[in-house]
Amino acid sequence: MIASVTAGLLNVVMVLLVSPFLHGLQRKIVARIQARQGPPLWQPYYDLLKLAGKEDIEVGEVPAMQRFAAYLALAVVLTIAFVLPMGTAAPGASIGDAIMLVYLLTLMGICTILAGLAAGSTYSLVGISREMMSMVTLEPLFAVAVLIAGLHVGSLHLDLVLKGGVYAVAGIPWSGLAMLALMLLAFQAFVQRIPFDTSEAETELIEGPLMEYSGPKLALFKYAQMAKLVVFAALFIGLFAPWSGTSNLLIAWLVFWLKVVVLMLFVTAIAALHARYRIDQAIRYFVVMDIASLGALVVAAYGH
Amino acid sequence: MLSKLKETLLCLRPGKVTLPYPAQAQPTPENFRGVPRWNGDKCIGCAGCASNCSARAILVTDICQEIRVLNYIGNRCTYCGRCAEVCPEKAITMSRDFEQATNDVADLRQRLELFMSTCQRCGRCFKISDVLEQLKMPGYRFDDFEQARWVCRSRSFFEGDPLVDDIRIELD
Amino acid sequence: MIARQLFILLKDGFGQAIKRADLASDQRLFIFVEPAALKGICYYLFRRYDARYVLTMGADDRPYSGNFLVAHNFALDRDHLLFSVLAYLPSDNPEVETISDVVPAASWGEREMWDLVGIRPVGHRYLKRLVLPDGWPEGVHPLRKDVPWNHVPEAFDSRREFTFDEPPEGCTVVPFGPFHPTLDEPAHFRLYVEGEFVRGCEYRGFMAHRGIEKLAESVMGYDDIPMLAERICGICGCVHSVAYAQAVESAAAITPPRRAEFIRTIMLELERLHSHLLWVGLACHVLGFDTLFMHAFRIREPVMRIAEKISGNRKTYSLCVIGGVRCDISLELQLELRSVLEKLEEEWKAVVAAVSGDRNIQRRTRGVGVADPALVKDSAAVGPVARAAGVDIDCRRDHPYAAYSRVSLEVITEQDGDVWSRLLVRMKEVFQSTRIIRQCLEKMEAGPLQAAIEEELPAARMGLSSVEAPRGESHHFIVTGENNRPRRWRVRAPTYQNLQAVPTMIKDQRIADMTISLASIDPCFSCTDRLETIDVHSGTLKVWTQEELLRATQSARSAARGENA
Repeated sequence: MIASVTAGLLNVVMVLLVSPFLHGLQRKIVARIQARQGPPLWQPYYDLLKLAGKEDIEVGEVPAMQRFAAYLALAVVLTIAFVLPMGTAAPGASIGDAIMLVYLLTLMGICTILAGLAAGSTYSLVGISREMMSMVTLEPLFAVAVLIAGLHVGSLHLDLVLKGGVYAVAGIPWSGLAMLALMLLAFQAFVQRIPFDTSEAETELIEGPLMEYSGPKLALFKYAQMAKLVVFAALFIGLFAPWSGTSNLLIAWLVFWLKVVVLMLFVTAIAALHARYRIDQAIRYFVVMDIASLGALVVAAYGH
Repeated sequence: MLSKLKETLLCLRPGKVTLPYPAQAQPTPENFRGVPRWNGDKCIGCAGCASNCSARAILVTDICQEIRVLNYIGNRCTYCGRCAEVCPEKAITMSRDFEQATNDVADLRQRLELFMSTCQRCGRCFKISDVLEQLKMPGYRFDDFEQARWVCRSRSFFEGDPLVDDIRIELD
Repeated sequence: MIARQLFILLKDGFGQAIKRADLASDQRLFIFVEPAALKGICYYLFRRYDARYVLTMGADDRPYSGNFLVAHNFALDRDHLLFSVLAYLPSDNPEVETISDVVPAASWGEREMWDLVGIRPVGHRYLKRLVLPDGWPEGVHPLRKDVPWNHVPEAFDSRREFTFDEPPEGCTVVPFGPFHPTLDEPAHFRLYVEGEFVRGCEYRGFMAHRGIEKLAESVMGYDDIPMLAERICGICGCVHSVAYAQAVESAAAITPPRRAEFIRTIMLELERLHSHLLWVGLACHVLGFDTLFMHAFRIREPVMRIAEKISGNRKTYSLCVIGGVRCDISLELQLELRSVLEKLEEEWKAVVAAVSGDRNIQRRTRGVGVADPALVKDSAAVGPVARAAGVDIDCRRDHPYAAYSRVSLEVITEQDGDVWSRLLVRMKEVFQSTRIIRQCLEKMEAGPLQAAIEEELPAARMGLSSVEAPRGESHHFIVTGENNRPRRWRVRAPTYQNLQAVPTMIKDQRIADMTISLASIDPCFSCTDRLETIDVHSGTLKVWTQEELLRATQSARSAARGENA
């Protein structure tokens, strides 16, 4: 019990410390791809500090809801970080199972929608309508992956599901490999980077749902977005690439963070080299993947 | 997909093109048109620059018989260089300065006070080129360099008038 | 067909209505007609003779002829003709029948005429404020000769707002602008949106209006105006100063020396290069593709630097005077220019190859913001917008100016009329520009840089000049005057016409496509909004109104001056 709480807290602390650094690394890499110097590596820390120090101006239709959404956003992300395995066993295994995880992830998407609704301006409402459409078509992918893992290991225990549960069949794990491919293709959309950041398209919607946020509340949301990348990476690694090749705790932990960095490089490279898709094009893309994932589910039901 | 790979190669070839400005100064080319600088020693007070200034940023006035004031108000200057082009004495050079942002609008102004003597035959003003010759003429004293004020007018030198400080002309 | 033949054609058709004609040259014609016949002649020229509409101008000619003047300019591109149909209107009743029902593209020109000169276009279906701010009092028309250039109207009503039309049924209003990350300059598009689709749009612009035409008539001289003209636009400055200089030279029958013409051509093409490279970068940024944006700007940088070496400034070249140019291109600069062009072509070829095969970009730009040839004709769109729709017009070939008659150029057209076609047209025009610059460098003749002008320029002469800006045709109309300044100077930038096509282009498209459709006409709002300066003090106290802001800036200014004195 103590061990899992400590592991969970360690996760939260690591996410809080490391996610701005990873964000800074992303910006530096994008800058080098764009042949320029880019901001300093520690810039996101400065940005968050600066935003936190600004005057908290409240505009928007329902300021209380805006405040609530901002706190909720970071809180939910950190809760997910608490329960996920990040180089150790899943600390949240004693608290809940995979269904709780699915709910938490959905709650994360809802925070943005709450934020946009509370702001109530035209552009934020357009932004949340896009966000809702994306959520409806994207969440099923992850749910199906969890379901397949659950089918294979016969339980929804977090520790079992998130330890490569999708591959737990005799012979070649077709459903697992199919889900790996689909999640790789959809990963960019989960972390809301180009080409799939339609709900916050700066040049079209002026930041969309986050439009009426400034100062400390914006800092919370920005932090939540930076942490989201790490959390989703952890999820992906847990589902599809959990092996560390050693039983040494420290090395396993380091290997995990190395995998996160690799995933982050992948996301950055794709984001730097693509144009943004329109919402209808993105939805079409997601729907195709949803159908394919259902096919994988059927295959999994047959034991492959 | 292939095009994305081509684009990747495109992107990675040039390296980093960010210049270290303003940490390091960046050189400007030779005929860069920066702030015009007047050289009071060469200026003869013909006011050709003032008539040709497109932005009406140069104003020339005679404050008394012998003193002609040339004021360059840099607020509206378009750095077109017509003043330098037309000056017969090459007293104006388009410098290579462009970093003009300042809190004090006086930094953008240049003021020349030209002592014009009168020709003995026709009575028109001309400027004596030699500084020593100027010092010999009565009434030429330029004591207060910081405030750039005339200490006294030509006649008050003899009559013992105190400081005259109403000569400053506020423009714009 | 030359000007004389057009004149004879019109005389045969309209007989008594034609009062006078000035055949300034084989390519220029000014016809003075009865006001009542103006509409009929314009209809005949626009619809039956398929002339291209260029501009509408109103002028206050009361100090000279006692009347107001209205002019509609057209172009017959195949015959290389630019001509103007003018009419004098009585000073007590300056009214003329609108031509905007037969020539839809004249809609803005007539609204501007009403706002600024006070000539009423009778029967205009949408006679709302175009140029002047909403609070400007009625009856004060700035371009009239009795209104001084620094006039501050007391009856300015800062609380009056522009009345927009009702949105169509079932639509919500999405305000686009004046502040928006995609727009470099303020403009307001009021979108009527149903779900994700745009069903209609209303435009209120002219927020960057500065009083350039009035200044030129009142306080500047002939050679001062090119410095003003090149600041009309933040990108196509050389275009406006060359167009103005050419208009005056055409009016006063001055021929610049050959070397000057070549230098003008080279600088114009350099400007086209940097403008198109900037635009490609900007379009990619609007699409979310920042990497290509950064690279386009990196490739563009050497062009800016060589322009700075030649003229002394990266963009405002201060190049033109009446009768020639002010800067020369030395032999070593020519060599450097050649190497810049070589490097540019090499890198740009790679970019074009990469972008042409990029399906990601094509998916966002194909079929978006379509302007078909009928829309191009009706709104008199020009430039790449027209050429991408298959309409083959280009002033460099149709109305040759500077050294363009001595170089060979190919006009790039595409067929689909969407954003992708415009992207292709602009990318390929970059190669045409480098070709033209090379030809100019080879054919450049030695000689003086300016024509010697011995006497004052004659007054009351008219001159027209069309220059192909990167965005399309930029047309200037000059009436020379006394005191070393023109009586009237009318500038029509290409975006003025292209913007009128935007509401139709974005109709029934998605909101997400609105920004790239707007960006694809390469809008230059500063070029469009060139007229009267407003500098207003008002007394009412209200939170965050215009006058609060103005008062704040005024007091800050006088505080700074107070500290200084």
